Amino acid sequence: MNAALHHAQALLATGRPEQALSELSALPANEVTGSYAMQLRCAALSQLDRWAEVGDAARAGLGANGPDPDLLLWLGRSEHEAGRDQVAERVFLDGLALAPNDVDLLCAYADLCASDGQLDKAGKLVELAAARAPQAPVVYATRIQLAHARGDNREAQRISREFVGVHPENPVAHALLGGTSAARGQVDAAYEGFRQAAAARPTEQVFAESAMELRVARHPLMLPLRPILRFGAVKTWLTAVLLVIGLRAAGLPVLAGLLGFAWLAFCVYSWVVPPLVRKRVLRGWR
Amino acid sequence: MHDDLFSPTIREQRAPGRPPWRPESIVYPAFFGGPLAAATLGVLNGRRLALPTSRLLLIAVAGLAGFGARVVVGAFSDGSSPVRLAGTATGLLVWLVVLALQRGPFRLAALRGHGPARLIGPGFAAAIGCGLLEAVLLLVLVR
Repeated sequence: MNAALHHAQALLATGRPEQALSELSALPANEVTGSYAMQLRCAALSQLDRWAEVGDAARAGLGANGPDPDLLLWLGRSEHEAGRDQVAERVFLDGLALAPNDVDLLCAYADLCASDGQLDKAGKLVELAAARAPQAPVVYATRIQLAHARGDNREAQRISREFVGVHPENPVAHALLGGTSAARGQVDAAYEGFRQAAAARPTEQVFAESAMELRVARHPLMLPLRPILRFGAVKTWLTAVLLVIGLRAAGLPVLAGLLGFAWLAFCVYSWVVPPLVRKRVLRGWR
Repeated sequence: MHDDLFSPTIREQRAPGRPPWRPESIVYPAFFGGPLAAATLGVLNGRRLALPTSRLLLIAVAGLAGFGARVVVGAFSDGSSPVRLAGTATGLLVWLVVLALQRGPFRLAALRGHGPARLIGPGFAAAIGCGLLEAVLLLVLVR
């Protein structure tokens, strides 16, 4: 591979998409539209969230190089991002017709199906991908996403732990472990995940913002709200209300009234305090 | 065996309307406002989540049944305390119905980057408006 392409790839891997783009635009005219150069351009633009340009670049690459599964992958992702899901599906299927075992295409198509609510089909697609490359980061990430879509937060966290174990250097793995821990109300584990992700890739805004949100959640004033995060709204609310009703039925109306009043105060606390803590933590952050 | 996996199945997406509320958050207006508040917000949120009409009807029926239960409690008890307690209990039961029907659809909407919207304003409006409506109706029907 050309040294400039190598360099652009290294810049991307360390989260410097803008520098990668300028490296790519300095390529000689006959190489600039090559398939791999175009894939790197798409990857850089996607890191910058410029999805419309990802689509343009993929189309230009396909025009110059003919059908190519890797470029079809980027085109499909940009169509999905633009909300044109049926077009995205056609593009992914064209890619899979050329490369039926392509793990990235299988996972991207699984993602698309999951977001359409077709969780069973998505599961089968990601199983196919996992049979080809069980330890590929994209396979882990898609399985986690799917478990989350099914509402199985425990399974999502389990796969995230496995992902971090196999790819301890991968910032996305740590971020996913952070996200799945947050979904289970494990605030400290969640903060640790995003902190490591942000440390490994300081240029990624989302990681830093999530770590900051969790600093808010870890604030001492937020401690009383942990049961709601940890056990979920359903369990905490039903426990509280059943206790109030139970105390009343047991002939202790005063205690029931006190508990009811405490619960009311707790509700008000849970509305008023989080925004104030967020403001305070943000001020310290900036 | 992969033929069905590799054939197109994606449906036409409806243009995204207003972002939905988090179904869990409806517990607050349900607790303070009672069954009609929970059902009103449940139906509005169900429309935002594009649930089928039968599901919306189910939520509305649950709300009316909850209110009916409150009326029955009011007719057979003295004082206002059991009626208030029945309002809280039936409100939470309606919320559980809403939750059972909307948790999955909400997760998918979130996966598409759609929502959640803030419930504070509509939540207070529903809790106060429907709470008062129930109080007036109970007064007319039972007392």
